[in-house]
Amino acid sequence: MAMDDGIERHLAAGRHARAFDLVVPAYKDRVFRLAYSILKERAAAEDAAQETFVRVWKALPRFDGRAALGTWIYAITRNTCLMELRRRRPTVSFDDPDSTEAQHAAASIATGPADDPERDNLLRLVEALPRNQQEAVRLFYLEDRSYETVAEQLGMPLGTVKNLLHRARKRLMEVARPDEVKAA
Amino acid sequence: MNEMSLTGPCADYEHDLVELQEGSLGPERARVIRLHVESCARCRAWQAEFAAIDAGLAAALPSPALSADFEHRLQARIADLAQPVNRSDLRARADREHERLVEALRRGARRHALLDGLGSAAIAICVLALARGLLEQADAMQLLFEGPQRMVILGGIGTAVALAALAWTAVRSRLPLAG
Repeated sequence: MAMDDGIERHLAAGRHARAFDLVVPAYKDRVFRLAYSILKERAAAEDAAQETFVRVWKALPRFDGRAALGTWIYAITRNTCLMELRRRRPTVSFDDPDSTEAQHAAASIATGPADDPERDNLLRLVEALPRNQQEAVRLFYLEDRSYETVAEQLGMPLGTVKNLLHRARKRLMEVARPDEVKAA
Repeated sequence: MNEMSLTGPCADYEHDLVELQEGSLGPERARVIRLHVESCARCRAWQAEFAAIDAGLAAALPSPALSADFEHRLQARIADLAQPVNRSDLRARADREHERLVEALRRGARRHALLDGLGSAAIAICVLALARGLLEQADAMQLLFEGPQRMVILGGIGTAVALAALAWTAVRSRLPLAG
């Protein structure tokens, strides 16, 4: 990526602040979308994106270029999100409608147009998928159906991402009522 | 329900049908798959279901955007972190914290001393009042006090007072010290 070349030139010259000034606009949206696909809640994803860039800022002088800059930033994003999920874990209960996880899931369903039962049903079916499939599905559609971007952001081989998405969408085809699917 | 899985020879076409739908299949392979789909009702149905779920997901999944002030807030946070640490500020902050803790300990000690005094006085008054009442009401007891066992009874009362004071001290030691 041309932008990354510019950033890496600044890094090689020890101009970390200049490099960071380029990192934020280049990566903020993708970092946010990755965080959203994992945390499923806009405010939490934005907090995680802030925290990610603070960590990037602190660690940038130690970035050695062994991994691509994007790979490194996405790994920090995933770790930040996993820490947030771990922090929430004591209150996680899928059976308890008042649990944090259930509230986040409800919030993710409630962010679209109201009174759309087909949409809500489809989102509930997505919520029922295994977590790694959910993340891949959310990110895939957030990233304009780019398998390569999803693979890079989730730190997975391309084939793994394709298989995850294939299994997820086949599962959704199996469980969604055909009339609702067609109408969606 | 597993009607959505293609079986037999058609199972090989699932990934091709997905790539055809997404426009990523090579032209030659796409032509072969289109020809197959034209002649295979099951693959046509599967392709239609897949297209529906794909369109449904694209429409249903939220696409949130970052707040407009995201970068501004981040820059403010970074600016805070980038400020050089001032040693005299740190020292003054530590001194203030130390003084606050010492003052809290002093307040706690004063409160305990007051509670000790009040508690001991209350126990002593209660025990003496009880003893006096007993002595006034019981002639036999009064005789005892005039007799040779007087010292034993007074000693017993004194021991009771001491035990009560000890019990109060034990209770007091469980009270929070600070504040």
